Amino acid sequence: MIGYTLRRLGYGVVVMGLVTIFVFVIMRLVPGDAVSLQLQDTGVSKEAADVLRAEFGLDDPVWVQLWEWLAGAVQGDLGASFYNKEPVIDLFLARVPVTVQLGLLAMLVGTALGLTVGIIAAITRGSVTDSALRVFAVAFLSVPNFVIALLLLTAFALWFAWSPPLVYAEPTEDFVSWAQQMAIPVFALGTGGMAAVARLTRSSMLESLGSDYIRTVRAKGVRERTVVLKHSLRNSTIAVLTLLGLELATVLGGTVIIERMFGLPGTGQLIYQAVLDRDYPVVVACTIFYAGLFVITIILIDLLYALVDPRIRTGKALS
Amino acid sequence: MTEKQTLTETRPVPPAPRPPRGAALRRALKALRVFMRSQPLGAAALLLICAFVLVALLAPWIAPYDPLEQFRRDILDPPSGKYLFGTDDLGRDVLSRTIHGARTSLIVGVTTTGVSLVLGTMIGVISGYFGRGLDLVVQRVMDAVQAVPGIVLLLFIAVILGPSVCNTIIALTVVITPSFNRIARAETLRVRQEPYVEAARATGAHAPRILALHVLPNMLASVLTLGSLIFAGVIIAESALSFLGIGAPPPTPSWGLMLSEGVRYVERAPWLIIVPSVALSIAVFSFNLLGDALRDHLDPRLHRSAADRVTGLWWGRRMLSRLAPSLARATEQNLSTDVTTGGTPRPSEPPR
Repeated sequence: MIGYTLRRLGYGVVVMGLVTIFVFVIMRLVPGDAVSLQLQDTGVSKEAADVLRAEFGLDDPVWVQLWEWLAGAVQGDLGASFYNKEPVIDLFLARVPVTVQLGLLAMLVGTALGLTVGIIAAITRGSVTDSALRVFAVAFLSVPNFVIALLLLTAFALWFAWSPPLVYAEPTEDFVSWAQQMAIPVFALGTGGMAAVARLTRSSMLESLGSDYIRTVRAKGVRERTVVLKHSLRNSTIAVLTLLGLELATVLGGTVIIERMFGLPGTGQLIYQAVLDRDYPVVVACTIFYAGLFVITIILIDLLYALVDPRIRTGKALS
Repeated sequence: MTEKQTLTETRPVPPAPRPPRGAALRRALKALRVFMRSQPLGAAALLLICAFVLVALLAPWIAPYDPLEQFRRDILDPPSGKYLFGTDDLGRDVLSRTIHGARTSLIVGVTTTGVSLVLGTMIGVISGYFGRGLDLVVQRVMDAVQAVPGIVLLLFIAVILGPSVCNTIIALTVVITPSFNRIARAETLRVRQEPYVEAARATGAHAPRILALHVLPNMLASVLTLGSLIFAGVIIAESALSFLGIGAPPPTPSWGLMLSEGVRYVERAPWLIIVPSVALSIAVFSFNLLGDALRDHLDPRLHRSAADRVTGLWWGRRMLSRLAPSLARATEQNLSTDVTTGGTPRPSEPPR
């Protein structure tokens, strides 16, 4: 198990290294850097711009910049924004809570609804309810989350003449305003996950409901509710957890569009603005954070599976 | 069926009889008929897709007005006999713009899916067939591309290249190619083990011949299934990029762009949101449905052994599961990929 864990971690480190190099190179390939963007309307001389570039280290070769960044990053210094000179880490940490709230709530709503729908579809297999729920799931997989958000906005505006507040409020300060603003984004982000969870729950429960051990449990005279909720559902837990891990990346990606639409000050907005401004340190830090989260999730899922199924970690399943 | 046929082809003596002209076409038509009969939902999806393609191709003749013409007297007109779906803030006919928007979606969808399918399959097949160092390097690069959330990568590339339909295609191709690479490589690893490939190798066939005659035809089904689901993802991604203002530039009729222009008039002109939303959703829905039906039809359990079912891995479980088990599982559970949001495959139900 230890060997397997180390191998997975090593793999993660290699991928993260490649991501870092990739981000660095691609950002430097961008025509027009932060300095020329900042100074384009001010009429500052070319020499002054070069001085600024030297200050940011933009005149060094890419690999020198990469090395300096890595040296700083190891010591917990991710550099400072080219715009307001604030340390990237502060900028980033200030934005994290909103995205975390949004993402967690969306996943929570998606999982809760998805499990419910999936269980109902599984126990009513083949009925009208089942078909209706399945069509509903595929439909929700097909409508992009920003479209769901737009349609909800339209519906509320038309029928209730209501639209969410424009300025973000901390939940500790003004809970009602916060809830009003988060409701549509959370639902819009959660629906994709909901549909996916529902489908997976349905299929894996159907598989276990037809298995021998469930027949044994039933033969014992256990109540049907216990059979479904305890014995059958528990069997689908790992599959659903895997899905949720992978769903995390989807939700994080989705926040970029949704946060922009609703004016939520989260990391999605930060990265969007930073890419537009060519604010390299911010972009690099955000991308590596997102990619890191993704890689860590994948490794955790792998380890979870290895823990459950010894054949994976010993490699016996590979033959 | 394909297996049997390749077997006859690899047998050195007597030389396999050449199939008569047009046999391939007839076989394809028969396969299509079988598919439509066994998968009514898939048939419906195919019809929807045909309608979508026809509307896109015939846009200039179907659309009642020029999508760019501004009727200055009819700004934000509600749906009526004159403008079936109303007009937008510049007095442009929403129906005409939606019809031409199908064109933009189709161009981006076909080009991106086509190019990344060919490119990704080539990389995957070569990497998987020759293996070793090449495979290790290529796959780590692909992993790195996939680890960056799709939307961030798209933002990068779109900003570097500037907003245009062509650049959207380039950006999406970079993001999607790894998905095809992954499945093509996994399938190559699976097919490479098969006795008929060994037989071909024993008769002295060169790698290009084996790849073209045995490996590629045997992975076509999986690659096409993924292609259908990816197509849906590309349509979403194109509209998302246009919605963010880094896809198709303003006057272009694109569904995403229409949505972002319509947001400001949600209360006064809801048709600006509803019409493109419905068009977009139907297009995505039909490709997703087709992909689902294809997957059910080409029932993977048929070539899944009992041991595979236990570990739950069937897409070339060997190497893949050693290098990236969870991704292998994800690909196996479901091919549908949401490109906008990180290219994460979503699990789906195994066909029953």
